[in-house]
Amino acid sequence: MKVPAAVLFSLLLSVPSWAVLGQPEQSVTSDQKRLRGELRSTTGQGYTVHEIDAPDGMIVKEYAAPGGMVFGVSWRGPTMPDLQNLLGSYFPEFRQSAANAGPHHRVLAVRTARLVVESSGHMRSFRGRAYVASLLPANITEEVIQ
Amino acid sequence: MKTTCQLRIHLRRWWAPALAAALISILAGGCGGAGSSPSTSTSTSSSSGSSSSSGSSSSGSSVNNLLPMQVNAGPANNSLNEPVVSVTICAPGSTNCQTISDVLVDTGSVGVRLLASLVAVSLPEATDTSGNLLGNCVQFADNSFAWGPVVTADVELAGEKASSTPIQLIGAGGFPAAPSPACNTGGINDDTAANLGANGVLGIGVFQQDCGPACTSASTTLQPVYFSCPTSGCSETSVDPTSQLQNPVGLFPQDNNGELISLPSVAVGGAPSLSGSLIFGIGTHSNNGLGGVKVYTTDDVGNFSATFNGQSYSGSFLDTGSNGLFFLTSALTGIAACAAPNVGFYCPGNPTSVLVTTVGLNGTSSQVSIKVANADSLFASSNNVFNNVGGPNPGPPPAFDFGLPFFLGRNVFVAIQGQNTPAGAGPFWAY
Repeated sequence: MKVPAAVLFSLLLSVPSWAVLGQPEQSVTSDQKRLRGELRSTTGQGYTVHEIDAPDGMIVKEYAAPGGMVFGVSWRGPTMPDLQNLLGSYFPEFRQSAANAGPHHRVLAVRTARLVVESSGHMRSFRGRAYVASLLPANITEEVIQ
Repeated sequence: MKTTCQLRIHLRRWWAPALAAALISILAGGCGGAGSSPSTSTSTSSSSGSSSSSGSSSSGSSVNNLLPMQVNAGPANNSLNEPVVSVTICAPGSTNCQTISDVLVDTGSVGVRLLASLVAVSLPEATDTSGNLLGNCVQFADNSFAWGPVVTADVELAGEKASSTPIQLIGAGGFPAAPSPACNTGGINDDTAANLGANGVLGIGVFQQDCGPACTSASTTLQPVYFSCPTSGCSETSVDPTSQLQNPVGLFPQDNNGELISLPSVAVGGAPSLSGSLIFGIGTHSNNGLGGVKVYTTDDVGNFSATFNGQSYSGSFLDTGSNGLFFLTSALTGIAACAAPNVGFYCPGNPTSVLVTTVGLNGTSSQVSIKVANADSLFASSNNVFNNVGGPNPGPPPAFDFGLPFFLGRNVFVAIQGQNTPAGAGPFWAY
């Protein structure tokens, strides 16, 4: 879904800030060294998207509420991203649910009381998203996380 | 799926219990021991000397190109729609061979990967340009990973032989643990049959290498696939295409342009198991002619498009390694999703059909009908093979993953990138 951009920043950063789910968008994790690319931040109606386009084809988007809290992330690229980093404190919950789901390999959907993770794809082509429903801003649905 | 109550074992390394070792049949001299092994015998037929033709020739050879394939619940009995074959590996250039059963036939990946705990034959380890051992890591969409050394083996499938092929031994003892987070990001370790759902993976997708160009230069942004492993520990490295894990089909002396997946149809209620064929070569024998099928080329990552309700979804693909038809969302299809514990599957009130048009990069298109029944009901039955199990694939963006059910009752050709066939060069699917 395209969101009309109210403000558009286009920045070239060698080391972008890298926020994780449920953390303030200013948060920087150890993964910041891994993804080097163009960071473009777009503030739309009710949320901000930080999109990192890495030179090797990985695209990561982070969706932040007006207060700065990251409520959703999405990814697309030739490999899986480091989900431990992207999901942050929600990772153990994801891991446990994924473990109980049996061998899937190509498509995985995890739904807990707090967390939704959808991941799919095959070697050379992966995509997915994760969000925390309780962190969604008012009047915003998970449909914006693309 | 039906395994939601399954408890997984998370061990960093897994040494084979004697029982598991007994399940594999050790063939040929040198391995000794397993005198009356229950299954199979290798046919190392050296195709009557002068079958010099390339795979694209239709003259045919005397080589047996048909490998029996089963679809079942996998060796751990915890999966469904799992297409499996027996794979024979030999120390390069020797008759010291071993056959491993229940290896997943996977057109969504490339490379032979076997559980190290089942491999008894001694295989030489591959090294990088610095002479260090080479490690390989594959991460799957469910965040599980397979890690282990690259070794070299002759891979025998039916009467075909891929000599000196780099393959992966998953979870090999004595090899460094998976680097974290570069390989192990805290996901499930696929080093057991229960976690992998099979005893190994026979990756025979549309490419010749597992990673390809992305791994020929050191990347700073992607999760690495290849690792240099001196005794001090493993670190990311780049690897030439010829040293990467290989699609064994492309290394055959003949019948090397791809394969035909041939599975019969199954009744609406499913079946406990199913027998079909994995046939090597395209247009090289009387049993693998293209006939009147259409050819759908793929893009450079192995995807094509699917059109539904007037909307085109790129990033769609065919995949025997997906156990269902995973496509779009409930909002887009109107098909209800299952509640727990079968989250990730569709649970329509009544069985339903979806008409979708598959479109190759070459513009070839045709409409196909896929069926979806209530996964809660299907999983409650004792059957393991279904043509109508499906679930959402929301992406983003949403796409169609035409998994194993798509292949039931349909002959599907898989052509390898750069290889010639009577219908042109791969990569393509044809059906």
